[in-house]
Amino acid sequence: MQRWSDNRVWLMLAPAICVLGIVGALPLLAVINYGFHDIFSLAEVHWVGIDWYRDILQSDRFAASFGRSLLFATLALAIQVPLGIAVALLLVGCGRRAVWGLMLCALPLVVPWNMIPMLWLGLIDPQTGLLGPGLASLGFDYKFTAWHTWALILTMDTWHWLGLVVVLAYAGLVSVPPAYHQAAAIDGASRWAVFRHIELPSISGALAIVFLLRFVDSFMIYTEAFSINAGGPDDATRFLSIELGEEIKGFSYGQAAARATLYFLIVLIAVWAFVLATRRKDPS
Amino acid sequence: MKRLLALIALAGFILLPLLQAVILSFTATLPDGDVAQGSIGLMNYARVLQSPDLRAAIGNSMAYVLLNVALCLVAGLPAAYALARFRFVGDRHFLLLILVFRVTPPVVLSLPIFILFARLGLVNSPVGIALVHALFNLPVAIWILESFIRAVPRAFDETAFLDGHSVPSFFFRHLIPVIAPGIGVAAFFCFIFSWVEVVFARILTVTAGKPITVAISAMFGFQTDIGMVMAMTCLSLVPGVGMIWLVRNHISRGFIVRGSSDP
Repeated sequence: MQRWSDNRVWLMLAPAICVLGIVGALPLLAVINYGFHDIFSLAEVHWVGIDWYRDILQSDRFAASFGRSLLFATLALAIQVPLGIAVALLLVGCGRRAVWGLMLCALPLVVPWNMIPMLWLGLIDPQTGLLGPGLASLGFDYKFTAWHTWALILTMDTWHWLGLVVVLAYAGLVSVPPAYHQAAAIDGASRWAVFRHIELPSISGALAIVFLLRFVDSFMIYTEAFSINAGGPDDATRFLSIELGEEIKGFSYGQAAARATLYFLIVLIAVWAFVLATRRKDPS
Repeated sequence: MKRLLALIALAGFILLPLLQAVILSFTATLPDGDVAQGSIGLMNYARVLQSPDLRAAIGNSMAYVLLNVALCLVAGLPAAYALARFRFVGDRHFLLLILVFRVTPPVVLSLPIFILFARLGLVNSPVGIALVHALFNLPVAIWILESFIRAVPRAFDETAFLDGHSVPSFFFRHLIPVIAPGIGVAAFFCFIFSWVEVVFARILTVTAGKPITVAISAMFGFQTDIGMVMAMTCLSLVPGVGMIWLVRNHISRGFIVRGSSDP
């Protein structure tokens, strides 16, 4: 659809820009500025240049946390995106009753984030949990076995966010005109061919944003991962944002700000990749 | 048959942790006077509702979440209309900007936001939290409203303006009634993302104005009454579940995000 051209409409963006300027741009500039300083208190601030950045980037712990966060985000995407598409396809096949499935999938989205680990820890509690005694007899021990902690956090994250993938994929799938499916049926297309050439293109726009949101949110997972095992066992679930949280709690503000700036740059790279990917899809 | 089994597995996976919470919320998990440990009843809910702190927490959460929804709709609607209908210098940069702010992790900005809001006197107040949650909710509101406005043909606007409507009167009499489902969906997503957020809500409430999420964390201690924690958690789900029910027929439209590309 052709749009009107008029630069005065910036006035309509003014309220949104004011709000985002106060809660987004100003704090961001402040955090970048703090990152170049050593901050004892707000009255005692020393310029240190890029020292913090050098310290962080040269430390082995940063490299290790970065690797762990990247692995976690990759696993989360590899599990949640295909599973979400599969559930959306399942629901599309249910016709009008699909709305019940969507409501079900959206349920975990309304649980306060700090309670999600509590729900899961309650579920697998060896004494009182519904799954606890069974898992305990299988030797499941999230406190001391690293891959068990990983499995628990991944399962919990999937439980939490599957609904978002399902809702957005479902929205794309129901927008496919029925004529496409009829044409495919006449041509005798296989189920896979229908998915690959008709359904997948129609949800690619929705999937792009799902990839971006899920990548950034799981890469920077904080509240949920920390409450499960506080980065343990033996730092096996020490993700990037947990290190940042520790520095803020330890009043190491200059270093925390430098680290926050680095994380923001990582997020910017992810957004840039998203923009490149979506631009290639709709040539204009 | 296969489909039925898959649906049952899905329902089991999603409902199991919630079922656990509901069971615990009706169970006395600590011995308390004449109530024996392990007995079933409404005592946890009664104690939550008797606690002035927890009642206040529910009120605080409601206050900032509703303020946030109102703020995102009021600031988001004109912006969404401008993006859906007009081409202007910098429109793509604005889209990129809101995308960047949506995905910036709260923990990255928590420190300067606390210092800034302390100077502005917005700590411990629902206004502060409502404002800061707009960082990630305003972009979502703009995306959703924009995709709903785009679905309305442009001739609809032209007719209204030919009839002599001013812009505000067009917004209130024509546009808002037509995109009411979109406003519902935008309000839903703003509501839930603000309701469940923890990092900002915690750092901006130092001495007063504690929201539900912080009140629940504060219930953990030397001897945690997990039944009462779960009763509070179950109560905290009620508004979100109500919102899901209200928008159930429109949620499936989801939202489409235009990157900085220009279809």
